[in-house]
Amino acid sequence: MNIYQPQLATVTEVIDETSDTRTLRLEFQDEAVRESFTFKAGQFGEYSVFGAGESTFCIASPPTRAGFIECSFKAVGKVTAALREVNVGDIVGFRGPYGNSFPVDDWKGKDIVFVAGGIGLAPVRCVIWNVLDRRDEFGDVTIVYGARSVEDLVYKRELEEWASRDDVRIVTTVDPGGETKDWTGEVGYVTPVVEKTAPAAANAVAVLCGPPIVVKLTLPVLDKLGFADEAIFTTLENRMKCGLGKCGRCNIGPVYVCKDGPVFTAAQLKELPAEF
Amino acid sequence: MSDGRFFISESDLRALAADLLGAGTEVIAPVAVDACASPAAMASSACMRPGMEPEDLEYRALTDASQLDLGRGLPILSLKGYFLPEHEALCRWKQKGTTIEIEAVPTEFAPRVVLAAKPCDSAALAVVDEVMNWDYQDELWNGRRAATTIINLACPVIDESCFCTAVGAAPDATTGADGLLMPVKDGYVLEATTEKGRALVEAHKARLVGSVPAETLGRQAADERSAASARVAGNLEIDAGSVRDWIDTHFEDPLLASLAIRCNGCGACSSVCPTCHCFDIVDEEEGVGRGTRRRCWDTCQSPTFTLHASGHNPRDDQNARYRQRINHKFAIYPLRFGEVLCTGCGRCTRVCHAGQDLVEILQAIDIAARRPDEAEAAAAPEPAPAAPEPVTS
Repeated sequence: MNIYQPQLATVTEVIDETSDTRTLRLEFQDEAVRESFTFKAGQFGEYSVFGAGESTFCIASPPTRAGFIECSFKAVGKVTAALREVNVGDIVGFRGPYGNSFPVDDWKGKDIVFVAGGIGLAPVRCVIWNVLDRRDEFGDVTIVYGARSVEDLVYKRELEEWASRDDVRIVTTVDPGGETKDWTGEVGYVTPVVEKTAPAAANAVAVLCGPPIVVKLTLPVLDKLGFADEAIFTTLENRMKCGLGKCGRCNIGPVYVCKDGPVFTAAQLKELPAEF
Repeated sequence: MSDGRFFISESDLRALAADLLGAGTEVIAPVAVDACASPAAMASSACMRPGMEPEDLEYRALTDASQLDLGRGLPILSLKGYFLPEHEALCRWKQKGTTIEIEAVPTEFAPRVVLAAKPCDSAALAVVDEVMNWDYQDELWNGRRAATTIINLACPVIDESCFCTAVGAAPDATTGADGLLMPVKDGYVLEATTEKGRALVEAHKARLVGSVPAETLGRQAADERSAASARVAGNLEIDAGSVRDWIDTHFEDPLLASLAIRCNGCGACSSVCPTCHCFDIVDEEEGVGRGTRRRCWDTCQSPTFTLHASGHNPRDDQNARYRQRINHKFAIYPLRFGEVLCTGCGRCTRVCHAGQDLVEILQAIDIAARRPDEAEAAAAPEPAPAAPEPVTS
């Protein structure tokens, strides 16, 4: 089996997050793979619908939950449109896990601040559950999550679950005009809400993921709050094909995002040409 | 001859090719082909003129040893396609009801021999070996590499677009190959440089002469070697290390950002390049519920190469895409793998219908890298003419 040949996985659950965003739960067909498959928070894979092709997403479920993986995607392109059509029992392809990961073990004893915008919550959700499944090992956990509208918030059931826990501080926000009558969260863009939430930066790390504009605008705010560039982690979502450091597509300056990333610190990002 | 070098006449070289073909071994070599054979070429004026029969040189699998072209011209395409085909199957799928079966593709290949390869083309394979093996092993590439014995034919240097010596290659090098044919009076000196090359020599000893005075052969060969090297060095001399470091530290420099002024992004340079290896992976349906997943050549010069599904494109203009090409070849790849992603074959310059000339471009970067003051003086804008008075009526 060459490195480009996918594993087969059965879709065991389909969850509609929003009108255009869906989560699939996948279980590997091969029993040996199902039992031996491990990954780290932040790693990604190549998901495929045979006939439509492959697409790159992070593994959105945490490594602390074995036996399955999940991916969340917005139906915008050819492959994601085809993935949108699959049902429970259908078979898809998966190659991975690829890339580096969030250094969660290095964060023991630290406070963790998660900041996500839109579908950017998918890679962050993997880390959130990873941290919550090992809750005793970490300090305060703060989540700031924003989307365009209430409808566009993904993982709604989990947002409620996190909000109901007394060991998590969560602030959700929607863009002005995106709120509903009964919305009790914040109204405003993610960046000012992070500033207002003002998580303590001492002995803390921040995990940031979202559309390029959210990342760009939020970095200076985290800096202002006192987060060092080395303590801010993000994950780049460049277009990829092979995921194996061969096809050349995800190259940014000296970096192969699929091999050297997708997880980078803000300090590393600042060293890169602005081609992401 | 005890030094591992042998004499072989041209007729014996063809006989050796015939022996290989007779034994069922694929032999790939330069072959003169009808340049007007493709539908696209039919529109070319040369092909429409009566009596004109333009020929191209291509690496082809020989069907007869007489096809072997020893004229030492440059094949239009490099050897790349024999190791990374223009498109190739990665796996096949077949759907049966709700189940899917995946059929693996073979990663072992039948032995084959390349004769009269260009040294710049074999060198390119050694360069690309690095990216194909730096972490994950690309078995399809490696399988074809392992199955292939490559014998170079020393190059006389084609034209002013050649610059192999500027990027660490040479017209008589055996990098990436298993042996070298060096033209001498009435034939060639054949020297095997690897185990695979020695095995080929051993199997075809009957065609080789080992009793010609080594000294004579050596001197003839040495004369041609130094003449060719001097000729190509006259086309371009750069300090590849300075070029690498300058590109790495001058991403936003106007020189790098203006190099693409003539480029219109067709990507022909990537197709003909022996080292460009970027690829796409696509699914091809071949009937209901079955098909092939393929990889096919792609190019960083295409706007869709980096285009996100969201519409965001990190390299959204041709200057950025051309800079990426130069950056990847002369800075990113050398910094990562220690090798320049270019062997100076010059095909990109010859094929470019817009006139992008890599020799000129590398010269300009080398000047900027080595003599920053001179580059600044050359780049200094002419004093701007006074703006004409607006005409009022």
